[in-house]
Amino acid sequence: MIDTVARPTPMVEMSRIYKHFGGLHAVEDVSVDLYPGEVVGVLGHNGAGKSCLMQILSGALAASDGQIFVNGEEITLTSPQDARKYGIETIYQTLALANHLDAAANLFLGRELKTRFGNLDDARMFAEAKAALRQLNPNFTNLKDPVSCLSGGQRQVIAIARAIYFQAKVLIMDEPTAALGPSETAMVSNLTLRLKDEGIGIFLISHDMHDVFDLCDRVVVMNKGRNVGSFRIEDVNKDDVLSLIIKGTLPDDWTPRGTTK
Amino acid sequence: MSDLQAQRISRLRLGGAALHKLSAVATLLLLVMAFSFSSPAFLSVNNGLTVLLQTAVIGLLAIGMTMVIITGGIDLSVGSVLALSGVITGLAIKAGLPVLPGMALGVLTGALCGAVNGLVITRMRITPFVATLGMMMIARGLALQLTGAAPISRLGESFGLLGNGSFFRVVETQANGFPKVIFPGIPYPAVLLLVVALFGSYVLTRRQVGRHILAVGSNEEAARLSGVNVARTKIWAYTASGALAGLSGMVLMSRLVTVQPNEGVMYELDAIAAAVIGGASLMGGVGSISGSMIGAFIIGVLRNGLNMAGTSAFIQQIIIGIVVIGAVFIDQIRNRN
Repeated sequence: MIDTVARPTPMVEMSRIYKHFGGLHAVEDVSVDLYPGEVVGVLGHNGAGKSCLMQILSGALAASDGQIFVNGEEITLTSPQDARKYGIETIYQTLALANHLDAAANLFLGRELKTRFGNLDDARMFAEAKAALRQLNPNFTNLKDPVSCLSGGQRQVIAIARAIYFQAKVLIMDEPTAALGPSETAMVSNLTLRLKDEGIGIFLISHDMHDVFDLCDRVVVMNKGRNVGSFRIEDVNKDDVLSLIIKGTLPDDWTPRGTTK
Repeated sequence: MSDLQAQRISRLRLGGAALHKLSAVATLLLLVMAFSFSSPAFLSVNNGLTVLLQTAVIGLLAIGMTMVIITGGIDLSVGSVLALSGVITGLAIKAGLPVLPGMALGVLTGALCGAVNGLVITRMRITPFVATLGMMMIARGLALQLTGAAPISRLGESFGLLGNGSFFRVVETQANGFPKVIFPGIPYPAVLLLVVALFGSYVLTRRQVGRHILAVGSNEEAARLSGVNVARTKIWAYTASGALAGLSGMVLMSRLVTVQPNEGVMYELDAIAAAVIGGASLMGGVGSISGSMIGAFIIGVLRNGLNMAGTSAFIQQIIIGIVVIGAVFIDQIRNRN
């Protein structure tokens, strides 16, 4: 972070992304990048276009214009499966869980393990899911229950386990703590730092300033579909970020607050 | 603490699902007992086999219907598709095709109608109710147009085999030369129903497409984001429903040894009722083949028993209507808890 020598190729680079819904410009000319072992906070009002931008990267939405590069190579994403092929996994704000299925079925949804005869290998999926979930939360017990019966924290754990089980290189976390209690929020924060240490690049969408300043290395602020500022976290304080989110500009008297530059 | 609570709640809920199936079985047994008392002929081997035979058609329809309902959809076209499949088979046999390929063509016709349903629903984004309502009229219209609304008969004895044949039939020739049926045999349609039900249940619980059907019905957006091909899964379910409608058309027309373009009116409602009585939720995500089979037999026994007791067809409709509402009501209470 400190050296100003030419940085390596970013893991992910989204360049000049546009997204229109009819006449509505949800994302306009936004560029962001992400390096290994880095947490980049994507901030903004509701409707500022941050979720939309991230859904373009996760393959759930198609961009109207712009380029996406993974490790310097341009890629096209037409479905969530495409994004996964490049190691881009997403934890959706809604968690994207099928309520009537159990934890294992959800964890492997769309990527089911099969036996030689093409049958579902429920035993193996259960064992793998158990190991993956216990790793995140040792108290995870009711694995065979439909996920509608689980607590918010447990559901979140399933959504996270699903993203990291398949060796994510890039993780998009869309408001991962919005529905969680304090202890569960701490669990997710610890996990985020652990994944970062493992060299996973993380885009974190959050409303919680506390989380952002605790976890992020950089922040990207969006306002009305535009990128109104990308800063290293040391260079801004909460008031600066709030000003960007609300007004779309920095306070008039702003100078980089970081001591390293 | 919250884990424990959640666990406790979930146990209750799982109990609820099993309870629903159990209560359906109990209802079925209760019906059998009640009808046995009211008419002595009800509880006999012969009548039992008749119920099997009568339920086969509704049962086959209910298997496909269950899959469609689990995706959160509905297929109103099965009754008409059944008739159209029969008509196509009848015309093909009249045109000189042997019976077996003719019937295969009928099942294929059904599958094609189902596939069209699936495509209209997924590609044109028309709600299942409207799309299959349209197909219901199109298929019925086609069946009537192709035949001029007249039945097709004299299709040959082998055409009647599927619907009228049976395994282990024991017939004795009496001294006067007339045959005497000792055991009427297990009708082919009943065996067919068993085989298809087992296969349907296998697909739904052990295959990927079955898992995806459940996931799509449970949360379509989540399934899509998880990488499930939602459109393909839905098309698969409607095609299966159409093919099974075609198959039940073969059974029904074969039983009559005549193709009737007017057959199968309102059968979709019996199939939906069977699935719902068996615990399938019209909201999607919930349902099982075994449950729907119990549901089909509840309707079958109800119809048969009321007939034996001399109840008029109009009263039967009223009673079945009340049973369906009751079943959905019980389902709602279950979901509320």
